[in-house]
Amino acid sequence: MPATIVVVIGLLLLVNFVVINPLLAGTTGAVLRLVVLLAAAAALAGGLALVLRHGSDLVRGHGDRLGSAVLLAGMAAMLVAGLYPGSQGAADPVVRWLVAALLAPLIAALFAMLFVLLLGAMRQGMALRSRQMGVMLAAAGVVIALLLPFGGAAGEWMSGVAGWALEVPIGGVFRGLLIGVAIVTAVHAARILLAVEGADD
Amino acid sequence: MPDLGRLLGELVSFIGEQVAASSLRLGPVATVVLLGVVLVLLSLVARPSSRWTVRDIGRLAAVNRAMALAAESGGEAAFSLGTAGVARAASALGRLQTLAAMPILSLVARSAARSGVPLRVTANDPVAVQMADQLLADAHRRTETPERRERSVAEYVGEGRATAAAAALARGGAPAATFVAGSLAEEGLILLHGASRGAAWTSFGTADASQATSVLLTGEGTMIGPELYQATSDLRGRADRTAALAANRVILAALAVIVIGSVVAIVGGADVAAVLAGS
Repeated sequence: MPATIVVVIGLLLLVNFVVINPLLAGTTGAVLRLVVLLAAAAALAGGLALVLRHGSDLVRGHGDRLGSAVLLAGMAAMLVAGLYPGSQGAADPVVRWLVAALLAPLIAALFAMLFVLLLGAMRQGMALRSRQMGVMLAAAGVVIALLLPFGGAAGEWMSGVAGWALEVPIGGVFRGLLIGVAIVTAVHAARILLAVEGADD
Repeated sequence: MPDLGRLLGELVSFIGEQVAASSLRLGPVATVVLLGVVLVLLSLVARPSSRWTVRDIGRLAAVNRAMALAAESGGEAAFSLGTAGVARAASALGRLQTLAAMPILSLVARSAARSGVPLRVTANDPVAVQMADQLLADAHRRTETPERRERSVAEYVGEGRATAAAAALARGGAPAATFVAGSLAEEGLILLHGASRGAAWTSFGTADASQATSVLLTGEGTMIGPELYQATSDLRGRADRTAALAANRVILAALAVIVIGSVVAIVGGADVAAVLAGS
């Protein structure tokens, strides 16, 4: 039954893309509005589930209690700021301050760890001693060496080679990946439209 | 008494009216080309997968072994669906990767259910979590292990890409086997690092070209770029292929109707819609 629904809806959207028909357009519009409502309901349910899980952890003493407490306090603060009487919702100055002064720096701090994690991952990769890891680290080493700040003709030559390496071989690999991804994405989208899903052992 | 002939006539008339009230959005030639492209794509969908499988993508063939080892050690397995979700405000290509990861999750969930290994699925989108939860339930139903269902959970970690990465980094314990499949962006390395920390067995995949290096650096089994979708295709069953072949025939028939109808309309001046409507 779910596969039938997926096929019917998929074909409906496909036909609406090809054919202009008021009845068809109205039906697909209604289906798409239903999807938006469904997503909104799921978002609400997801938020409630998050509160329940962390509230339960806090009460029963499971997991990271401090983390759960911080999460619940953060959610409560954001809800109060966005819903107090007279609040402007997401545009309220308090909400904006919470986002700009707390959330954004926290996210920036998280992303600042990328450099350290990259070094750690390279160390871990070298420990694995796989061939693809060796090739990748060697290529990265060559590009970094070519980008060292040398002056004069040698520096210009190295810079030129680094630019060529980025634009030609590395750029070629990226373009190849993107073309491959585009083709299989189209195939996969067709599979979803026709409910060709599921995995067997 | 209901007149079946009249009902049938009205039904045909209604279909005819709808055909008469319709027009091709892209014109006959472009429509034929579009359906032709879909036909080729569906042929690829229905292709024999084994002919193209030259290696074990993402070490998925060893999932059962990983779960057996996890069961022996008393550990659990973890699966992250990336950071794009299904209903989030992310790119369509990213969200499609989440859908591509679902069959992989299904395979892992069934293997975990059979082995008695608790599976913890995480995502930053409630819709993706609901889908994962259904897959977990389906896995236990298909493996006839409903008594183990409560041990596996699909968990919403909160909104945002950074939230998913932070949740992975802050995760306590070390799962015996870890899977990450789906879209990853700048936070990819953080999420993968958190997911792989302490895990005895890892399999990571993303179709985001910019995060290929992150996957290669942190995962033992890898699915890079198209491989995420290819792995999904290689897991496909026989019945699905039959459905795709049937769909091919439906599209062939649609193409034939459009071509023949257009030729008849152009050459003979016949009104196909009027014929269908019986008027």
